[in-house]
Amino acid sequence: MTPLKTASAAMVVGRFWRKPPFIANPWVRYGLMAVTLIYLYWAFSTLPFNWERISEGLPRSARIFGGAFPPSFERGGLLWTGFKESFQIAFLSTLLGVVLSVPIAVMAAKNIAPKPVYLLGRTIIIVARSFHPVIVAILFVAAVGFGPLAGILTLTLYSIGFVAKLLAEEIEEIDWGQVEAMRSVGAGYLKTLIYGVFPQVMPRQIGLSMYQLDSNLRASAVVGIVGAGGIGGTLMNAFGRYDYDFAFAILLMIIGIILVSEGISGWVRKKIW
Amino acid sequence: MLEITNLEKRYGKNEAVLKGLNLSVEGSSVVSIVGASGAGKSTMLRCINRLVEPTSGSIKLNGNELVNLKGSELRHSRRRIGMIFQGFNLIDRLTVMENVLSGRLGYVSFFQALTRRFPQADIDRAFHLMERVGIAHYVNKRADQLSGGERQRVAVVRALMQEPEILLADEPTASLDPKTSQQIMSLLQSLASEMSLPVLINIHNVTQARMYTDRIVGMRHGQMIFDGAPKDFNQDALDAVYGGIASPDEDGVDSSDATGESQEVNA
Repeated sequence: MTPLKTASAAMVVGRFWRKPPFIANPWVRYGLMAVTLIYLYWAFSTLPFNWERISEGLPRSARIFGGAFPPSFERGGLLWTGFKESFQIAFLSTLLGVVLSVPIAVMAAKNIAPKPVYLLGRTIIIVARSFHPVIVAILFVAAVGFGPLAGILTLTLYSIGFVAKLLAEEIEEIDWGQVEAMRSVGAGYLKTLIYGVFPQVMPRQIGLSMYQLDSNLRASAVVGIVGAGGIGGTLMNAFGRYDYDFAFAILLMIIGIILVSEGISGWVRKKIW
Repeated sequence: MLEITNLEKRYGKNEAVLKGLNLSVEGSSVVSIVGASGAGKSTMLRCINRLVEPTSGSIKLNGNELVNLKGSELRHSRRRIGMIFQGFNLIDRLTVMENVLSGRLGYVSFFQALTRRFPQADIDRAFHLMERVGIAHYVNKRADQLSGGERQRVAVVRALMQEPEILLADEPTASLDPKTSQQIMSLLQSLASEMSLPVLINIHNVTQARMYTDRIVGMRHGQMIFDGAPKDFNQDALDAVYGGIASPDEDGVDSSDATGESQEVNA
């Protein structure tokens, strides 16, 4: 009976073992492989890969890059205004988005919200997440006109979608004992939230906010391209006027800012726990 | 005085966890409730402060019916019932003082709770109780930096801050080492007599139940099968409570094992 004894008894050699396949049914397994291969072949053979155009395009992009050297920081004032606006958009939308995401996350957390409220909260998050910020920015530019307001609204919605979703998931994973303890002392719903729930998700919320600021700074450059204000607009104009050296300066500026903000947010997220 | 009559609890359509339980606790007696895991000890305690909804029956604390209370009435009655948990259930990221003051959450306004501006009387009481159990020097330390025994003391003080009329302890020593768990048990015992507070303790360690409590209640399959003084809780009673269970918890099941453990501690 004991495993030791059988091991010391005569050992049977040559028994077969192999890791069980990921998909047990061989028909499904080989069928899926075949379908993938056939699709890949079809996809590549029908896409119009025009080698001529590619070979023409390469020197053209080389020319653009050539024109971009050396980057021109002559219009530093314009660069600075654009950046300032981008930062304002990113900061305000992060603040608004993070503040609004807290109640929405509470609504969308299954363990602390009643079913109808939960569904409403999830719906808000799904709607906020379903479109890429560029598409949302196009809508808002059409609605409120060109400029930073459209950018702020866009990125606020974007922040709500992201922060509320992750915060809601964090709330769903809290240690329930602390909530029970607060209930047992006779605390109501809001007091239980403040004492039993929020302290547990606070570090995560700060980390998410820092990440979101970082992400909004990046996105604010993109939404600027469709007219929602900020440095993206400046970049678009520079390209439109074939000012490749100025455009390159803007790109360098964006890279520098992203590097700095990523460094800061990483440092902050590491510090809090 | 706590009076439980005909208490029944059933989860969904499963077999009832509590089957018509009757128990009354008077004065400042310390009552330990023993029984194997799944006997319904924890469910019973949680029915008293309604963390678990009883299916039927009645629970009266000093004459007030607790079953069927709703909303603010329920919260007001919970203020009078202190609870201590196996896992301490402190707010880990808050300071010891905030944890202690959270025992007053049922009494203070939302704004006071949010800004931590508790009434001076509460702060005085907090310091007094923390000094009583020996954790006053940790006021501004984060709760998760304390050792197990210290955290359970914070939890005890939090419960006492409620000015409770009864104290429930759900396996308060199960996460502690033997020496610390004895200290917590004797703390509960002396607090009960100092504040003339009835205390109900779920406990696995039969030796400690005998040593620190005035009365032992044995439960099995949702029913009370022993109720008497510790000296009457003999081998037969022990077998009745724990016997015939395939793999009971190791603590206090075998009486010789449990005594061995306490000897080790005393040595």
